[in-house]
Amino acid sequence: MKIALLNGSPKHRNSSSEILLTDLKRCLLETDTAETARRKPEILEAAFHDDRIAEETVSQLLTADVWVFSCPLYVDGLPGHLLSVLLQLEKNIGESGHTQVIYGIVNCGFYEGIQAKTALEILENWCAKTGFVWGGGIGVGGGGGLAMMAGPKPEKGPKAPIEKALRAMSGKMVRQETLENQYVSVAFPRFLYKMAAQMGWRQLFKKNGGRIRDL
Amino acid sequence: MKLIITDITDFHLPVEGPHKIISPQSDIRHCIGCFGCWIKTPGTCVIHDGYENTGADMGRCTELILVSRCCYGSVSPFVKTVQDRAISYIHPDFVIRKGEMHHKRRYRNVISLSAHFYGEDITEAEKKTARSIVEANADNYDAQVKEIHFYSSVNELEGLAL
Repeated sequence: MKIALLNGSPKHRNSSSEILLTDLKRCLLETDTAETARRKPEILEAAFHDDRIAEETVSQLLTADVWVFSCPLYVDGLPGHLLSVLLQLEKNIGESGHTQVIYGIVNCGFYEGIQAKTALEILENWCAKTGFVWGGGIGVGGGGGLAMMAGPKPEKGPKAPIEKALRAMSGKMVRQETLENQYVSVAFPRFLYKMAAQMGWRQLFKKNGGRIRDL
Repeated sequence: MKLIITDITDFHLPVEGPHKIISPQSDIRHCIGCFGCWIKTPGTCVIHDGYENTGADMGRCTELILVSRCCYGSVSPFVKTVQDRAISYIHPDFVIRKGEMHHKRRYRNVISLSAHFYGEDITEAEKKTARSIVEANADNYDAQVKEIHFYSSVNELEGLAL
């Protein structure tokens, strides 16, 4: 089977969306597929960093059995450029009859993963419009800190709840089964996350020559 | 001031009182997630394409009115991109509101938020999502929801006075 990992972040590198797809890819390749195809899934990777999708990308995607979108939460929904891509996909993929199962991972800078619920609903509604099967999603809270939380043992430490959710999703993906949306947060106290984020903003602002009172 | 963000290029609905309309008069570039509007030029987007001041416009408005095609329960890409580019309306610092993390307000105005969604085949699921999103927007803007309406076509908006 072929699984398409679709990075919907506008950032070309070092995005939380990319980190989550990298972690998911590792989970997929570690998943025991003995019950299913007795082979590792083939991974196709694509990125939607802007609001256009090439026709050849659409053709490539249609060869995959499973798609997973990973993107940031923007103003309680999907980023505008990704909405544009979804509309183009709806227009270009033709009539129904598609059997692909679609999953979503939406990360937000807020602590609570549940705040990504509306964005996952948009993806689910898109599936209903296009005829794809909605497989379920993960809302990840504390996404802003993922880049700083890399470690040798992802099943332990602040990323542990995310790792658990990704493993559950990858297990379903290789079987093309659906799962209930999961909402997780980093295993890090909310007040510390808030404090660290605010210190981070101040450091970046000062680095750009700003005075804290002007932030 | 009423601030209207719409994807209708030729927007001519009557609007009572002082207002500003943001519509697709030129190409808009999407948010690149750089947070420059917070950490480089607080209050203004760093992409200068004519849509960089929406955050400040929001800081001056009493009503924010979205008039948009409904796309899977979301506003359309144009309206969403304007919203994405206007996060400088809020401050990067966090507050806990209704038990959830949100951003602190930058401006003192309390926005009254309305949304008018149009589209030929808006499903009940999409309407539910759209309502949830407008309510979530209000939480994040620390605003109040005034009204949410759905129309089966753009023509059905005729007769609407904002």
